[in-house]
Amino acid sequence: MPLEAPLAPVIERVADLNARYKHHSATAVLEHALADPMVGSIAMVSSFGAESVALLHMLSVMDRSTPVLFLDTEMLFEETLIYQREVADKLGLHNVRVIRPDRDQMFARDNSGNLHRSDPDACCVLRKTEPLQKALDGFDGWITGRKRFQGKNRTTLEFFEDEDGKRIKVNPLVHWTPQDVSDYITNNRLPRHPLVAGGYPSIGCAPCTSRVAPGEDARAGRWRGAEKEECGIHFVNGKMVRGNETEVSDANVVVSDDGFGGDDWTGGFAPLSEPQTADVGLDLPSDTMPENLSGQLDDVTLIRVDFPSFADGRGFTIARQLRLMGYKGRLRARGHVIADQYAMARRSGFDEVEISADLAARQPQDQWRARANWQTHDYQSRLRGVI
Amino acid sequence: MYNYDSFDVEFIRERCAQFRAQVERRIDGSLTEDEFKPLRLMNGLYLQLHAYMLRVTIPYGTLNSGKMRQLAMIADKWDKGYGHFTTRQNIQYNWPELRDVPDMLDALAEVDMHAIQSSGNTVRNVTADHFAGAAADEIEDPRPVAELLRQWSTDHPEFQFLPRKFKIAVTGSPNDRAVTRAHDIGLLMATRDGEPGFEVIVGGGLGRTPMVGQTLCEFLPKADLLPYVEAIVSAYNLLGRRDNKYKARIKITLHETGLDELREVVDERFAAIRATYTGADQLRLREIEQQFAPPALSTKAIEPFETAKRYDPIFRAWSDTNLAEHFNPDYAIVTVSLKKHGETPGDASSDQMRLLADLAEKYGHDELRISHEQNVILPHVHKGDLPVVHAALKKLGLATANVGLISDIIACPGMDYCALATARSIPVAQQIATRFDQLKLEHEIGPLKIKISGCINACGHHHVGHIGILGLDRAGVENYQITLGGDGTEDTVIGTRAGPGFAYDAIVPAIERLIMAYLEIRADAQETFLQTYRRLGADPFKAALYPTQDKADAA
Repeated sequence: MPLEAPLAPVIERVADLNARYKHHSATAVLEHALADPMVGSIAMVSSFGAESVALLHMLSVMDRSTPVLFLDTEMLFEETLIYQREVADKLGLHNVRVIRPDRDQMFARDNSGNLHRSDPDACCVLRKTEPLQKALDGFDGWITGRKRFQGKNRTTLEFFEDEDGKRIKVNPLVHWTPQDVSDYITNNRLPRHPLVAGGYPSIGCAPCTSRVAPGEDARAGRWRGAEKEECGIHFVNGKMVRGNETEVSDANVVVSDDGFGGDDWTGGFAPLSEPQTADVGLDLPSDTMPENLSGQLDDVTLIRVDFPSFADGRGFTIARQLRLMGYKGRLRARGHVIADQYAMARRSGFDEVEISADLAARQPQDQWRARANWQTHDYQSRLRGVI
Repeated sequence: MYNYDSFDVEFIRERCAQFRAQVERRIDGSLTEDEFKPLRLMNGLYLQLHAYMLRVTIPYGTLNSGKMRQLAMIADKWDKGYGHFTTRQNIQYNWPELRDVPDMLDALAEVDMHAIQSSGNTVRNVTADHFAGAAADEIEDPRPVAELLRQWSTDHPEFQFLPRKFKIAVTGSPNDRAVTRAHDIGLLMATRDGEPGFEVIVGGGLGRTPMVGQTLCEFLPKADLLPYVEAIVSAYNLLGRRDNKYKARIKITLHETGLDELREVVDERFAAIRATYTGADQLRLREIEQQFAPPALSTKAIEPFETAKRYDPIFRAWSDTNLAEHFNPDYAIVTVSLKKHGETPGDASSDQMRLLADLAEKYGHDELRISHEQNVILPHVHKGDLPVVHAALKKLGLATANVGLISDIIACPGMDYCALATARSIPVAQQIATRFDQLKLEHEIGPLKIKISGCINACGHHHVGHIGILGLDRAGVENYQITLGGDGTEDTVIGTRAGPGFAYDAIVPAIERLIMAYLEIRADAQETFLQTYRRLGADPFKAALYPTQDKADAA
């Protein structure tokens, strides 16, 4: 098809594109979307939210001059605004267009800035849908970061979508899982939105985004308490019911060479700052320098060392040092320790590992017992003449 | 050459089985991607931009023909028929499929090899002088100690989740060929009053913040090695920063804690740990040492060597650059260049690997080495056999006579392969090599080390290149900075930045101006680039780099 020929109707092109790129990867779809004459002139729309950086990075590798539309609803988190500038700068995206709501309309319809409380849908229309539609005038298509896993009305998304016969929407990441996104961000050393670590896996405007509890759906924090799942930019037909919250965890599990068990320690735990007795366990944080504990462990019968993350290996050295200092009582690792680290924990001097019920469900007993043979195949024992 | 005993064999089998199960548990969801990542890294498996990459360790760079043939087989069966030798004496396969990796690890285990701890925040492959056991200037072969450290660090329960990676190098020669002072721990073999031991250097490193290591212990008796190294890593595990990965290496810990205070912590830990070593490690070391006995060298005529040198100018040029002095004057150490002009530095095809294996078996006492300069070494070749070896190498493009010369460039993979890179490095290396080959000036210029990194992490060691090139990204455009006067030998010097950077198409002409200036101002043909630089300073070189401008402070 010659370039200057008028484009065929959107619905036909979408069907054709979906058929052609059916088995392609995200990068291939994006690459073709940027170059394929059948798509036409195109912009990316990005919220610079929790997962946006993956697609933005992909775009920056292919063509940094592609227009990127960023909607500043004037209700965003300060962190998002700072993050937006950082990411654009780092990736060298030099055609980011900040879209803001129309001044006059704002004055007329949300003078107090409280519309989101009385009518969140109307607020989304005013601050998101209308300004974006205006900004998209003149483009033949736009690229979004939506994925099937995100919501019930997104579960059947295709790479290419017909937007009411007006434009093509391109969704290169439709088939990605949360792990794919996380993996991509990690492997390309991309900066994460600062709010993600604070419990916000999906980030919109500040008044309508709340924290998400462990186990909840990632988008559960958006318009919490309202029968609303989409802002209207991507709204299709009818309102969707939100998923039920998953069950919350129960008691921790204590793992030993025999497998899983409950906690038989009834004395509770106290930090070092409180007086030590034999009945109460001593809780040590992961930044403990064991040298500083000498002379204070004589009465202690159980020490619990915290593992805030399985990637933080300080606890192994703390255990080893405690043993070298002569501590003979019970020694427990507590927190995010995975089954693959069980042998390391035992060899470093721990007697047992305390994990959450969630982790125990994900990594059942047999995965831990597979390393109950931690005393064999151990170079340390060999070099120390123990075997 | 160390051969696995039954303990090693069982360990490696168990480890392969564990990894196979981990891959399955990743697929069934027991392990999250975050949790799987350090486990695969511990087994050498990276995820790059487009595919997985498997990095196989070659402990202290030592191979035999059987291992080399297996590496060739793996390249053919699970990759695209070639492998890439790295600056850490490893080999990388760039195109494996995740599901094949457990089989690849099994294939490695068949020949006493593995990919354990070739990546991840743990103690990495221990490196050593690539001429170990053959060099004329050697005090003691460092490889038995390196093997002992390999066994000690393998699966060490305390040190699999350190703040950052940890690299150890050992050298047994006063001429440091292992860049020892640029490692987290550098061990220099020494003797005091007849007693063998080490000078222990700590906190060296290149990367974003290049630092030359400092002496933590002037003289450490040989038997104290493992407890002392353990005390250092133990102190680092608790003191090292975990809030910022760019400040997590021990060089920063040393900088922030101070040498004296670090020494205090290490000494205190050492006192406690020393008692746990009862001598079994030293018995083990003696067993290992026996496996590194020098080969039975032959005594035959070296006439073919003299004749070829006299009548074959190509052989003569090759023998001038690619041979090093062996402890036996009838022998030579052959460096086979993997830097053919215009090719990717460090790449070898499976056919080339098999040829090298055959030559090692027939003419080289079955020994091969990989150097951190990304070349392959035949450490024990009788001089009488050199013409035959040279002729065989020539047939497969392995007889390039450029070792230590301008085209013997160290280059990281750069933006063509690496997810971190900000600029291309391999094409720059190829263009420099091709350009000076056209000019026919390479041998005239003499010894010169150019090292290229495609990002600030400095995998190409540009800080210690006589000429270092660092590729950066400046607002979406590749920009190359030049450093001058670096040196990776026992005198370790970090190079100094010459001035503003150059665009991709201006970097090779800039290097050419630099070299032409050197040829003009050197005292005589014997004075090397580095010597001239040290005698005259940076000014004449800067003048050549920036001929018409006076804005050295720009950029």
